[in-house]
Amino acid sequence: MSNAIQAQAERYMDLLAERQRLVASNLANIDTPGYRTKDIDFQFEFMSMAQGASPQTIEVADLPARNDGNNVSLDRETRLLAENTLRFNLAASLVLSNLKMKRLAIHEGNAQ
Amino acid sequence: MAAPISPIQPVPVALPAVTPAGQGQSGGAVFQSVLNEAVSRIDTLNQNAQDSVMKFLSGEGGEIHRVALAVHESQSAFEMFLQVRNKVISAYQEVMRMQL
Amino acid sequence: MSLFDALSISASGMDAQRQRAELLVQNLANSETTRTPEGGPYRRKDVVFSSTPQTSPFGAVFQTVQGGGEGVEVSEVVEDLRPVEKRYLPGHPDADAEGYVSFPNVNPAEDMADLLSATRGYQGDVAAISAVKSMISQAIQLLGA
Repeated sequence: MSNAIQAQAERYMDLLAERQRLVASNLANIDTPGYRTKDIDFQFEFMSMAQGASPQTIEVADLPARNDGNNVSLDRETRLLAENTLRFNLAASLVLSNLKMKRLAIHEGNAQ
Repeated sequence: MAAPISPIQPVPVALPAVTPAGQGQSGGAVFQSVLNEAVSRIDTLNQNAQDSVMKFLSGEGGEIHRVALAVHESQSAFEMFLQVRNKVISAYQEVMRMQL
Repeated sequence: MSLFDALSISASGMDAQRQRAELLVQNLANSETTRTPEGGPYRRKDVVFSSTPQTSPFGAVFQTVQGGGEGVEVSEVVEDLRPVEKRYLPGHPDADAEGYVSFPNVNPAEDMADLLSATRGYQGDVAAISAVKSMISQAIQLLGA
């Protein structure tokens, strides 16, 4: 895994963490009158690779609203919760195995 | 009867002048600067890691995975340095043991 | 700090839903209470949720979360203004001059449905905490690689 790929993996994890925070926010506000579902434009933020910059929070379009104006969908948020976790943990695992390999190389295969 | 042996003639090869140690770029000086660079790099990484941890703990910001990676990187560089140092020392000792 | 902020956001959600559930249970328990210390029958109460900019538990008092992430809180407890239910029971100790007793304006079916909704909301927050904990765990592993 090159340094460039690891840097991308780190950015990927940054964005997923932020996305998950918004999912938590949506779930906490599932019964708040007038609350609109929040997210980030993941693809766009990942492609733009702005190092360390905070991604932009956007409002999600095309979600049906209830009488009080709240448009949070339990199904959508639950699905995203699982998806974000799996992706994040996968990226972390890849980086972890890369780090372990490097450690091994430094110690020439001997246990530390 | 054998012919008389001609006297040994000087070999017309120009040998490089041997400069005393400390003048110009000898092997020792190059190694010293490499060592200095390595130490200053480790210092930088260590500082980055510490800043990262402090920012995280004080709530200023920074993601947990980035903190973990910064700390890991600084530890890793230090370990690498130790390994190299150990190798250099054992190579030196081996040289010193040689019968000349 | 996103992941840790998420934890405190979910915690605020759990807290709000719990308060809502407690009030609903109180309504249900008092659905037939005709006499209260303030006089008259029990009056139904409800919570009002509003979103809050969430402060991080690690941060300074005025540290706010970046971006649009928000927690939730119970901003008020309001009394249900729908009229009380009057039943004709002339022999009842709390009957008025015309023989009517005022009963609470609690509709048990409605509050049971609300309670179900509060439970689902609470469970959503619990699931979020569990997921985020798993992510934080994975990230911490990178330290000891």
